Amino acid sequence: MERSAIIKVSGSKLLKVAVRSQGGTIEGVRITGDFFVYPEEALELLEAKLKGRMVQDVGKILKDEVKSLNITIIGFKLEQLISMIEGCSR
Amino acid sequence: MEQLRVIKFVTGTPWYNMALDEAIARRVGSGESPPTLRLYGWSPEAVSIGFFQEVREEVDLEFCRRRGIELVRRLTGGGAVVHSRDELTYSLAVGEGDLMIPRDVQESYGRICAPIVSSLRRLGVDASFRPVNDIEVSGRKISGSAQTRRFGAVLQHGTILLDLDYTLLSALKVSAEKLKGKGASTAGDRIKTLRQILGRPIGHQEMGRIVVEEFSRTFCCEAVQGDASHEEEIGAHALEGRYRSQEWLFRR
Repeated sequence: MERSAIIKVSGSKLLKVAVRSQGGTIEGVRITGDFFVYPEEALELLEAKLKGRMVQDVGKILKDEVKSLNITIIGFKLEQLISMIEGCSR
Repeated sequence: MEQLRVIKFVTGTPWYNMALDEAIARRVGSGESPPTLRLYGWSPEAVSIGFFQEVREEVDLEFCRRRGIELVRRLTGGGAVVHSRDELTYSLAVGEGDLMIPRDVQESYGRICAPIVSSLRRLGVDASFRPVNDIEVSGRKISGSAQTRRFGAVLQHGTILLDLDYTLLSALKVSAEKLKGKGASTAGDRIKTLRQILGRPIGHQEMGRIVVEEFSRTFCCEAVQGDASHEEEIGAHALEGRYRSQEWLFRR
């Protein structure tokens, strides 16, 4: 099952999330929009880290990765991304 | 920085423009080239999309094909931008350790946009920086910037709207979500050009001279006219293929 969500976040930035999931397991996530992430390569790494993981673990996985990779996000809050991915997986 | 190399205004293709920005940033980041400000224009007209954007979601591909508008994906994040011939684009590349650039990314946007704001003010335009990355006049965008930090460098490039053929904006699929809360019903309502404000056309050279002076003043450095080095031109040539490729354009 694939579901997507789009929200307008801080300022006028858009965050779009598409999630493919099956029975609570995430098969794939794609995060797109006009935000900024530093380092840029980290976004695809975060998407890859969620593959095959349970929906309830999304928050912890993303928070841990953002911290350990020292990722800076400008344009949305990590919590917004987490709740969008969770919402799309249910 | 004590000196800022200034590469004079030239008009380039979308792919060359992005490739030369990257080639310069790579050389600046490795310490082989000095801090650099480049001014350029676009021909053919183009839409650039942000590093994290999905092309089909943002761009009316059929409209672009009909109008001969080319497409390029930037190395920088941010949104889709229409680049007409009446745009002046700046790009600044400095070493990541340069003390003039705040380590905090949001702060650095403000810092690098400051000379653009003061350039506009010198012309009597009541411009102000609006975080994250815009410069506005009366709530309308006149300039937008995007920054990446790679290769040991900070690269920020951005637009200054001298004038605009508004029909080009149909190239962008601006979602209803994006316009929400902006008091605007179309993308055109959100932007403003220098020609509209000044009531006269202003050329790339005239605006470019002011921008160079303001960068030099803001960063307390001497602006030195220069060219892209042979190595940077070779680098740009090598990188241009990637920017032209469908794989790069449609990678998201």
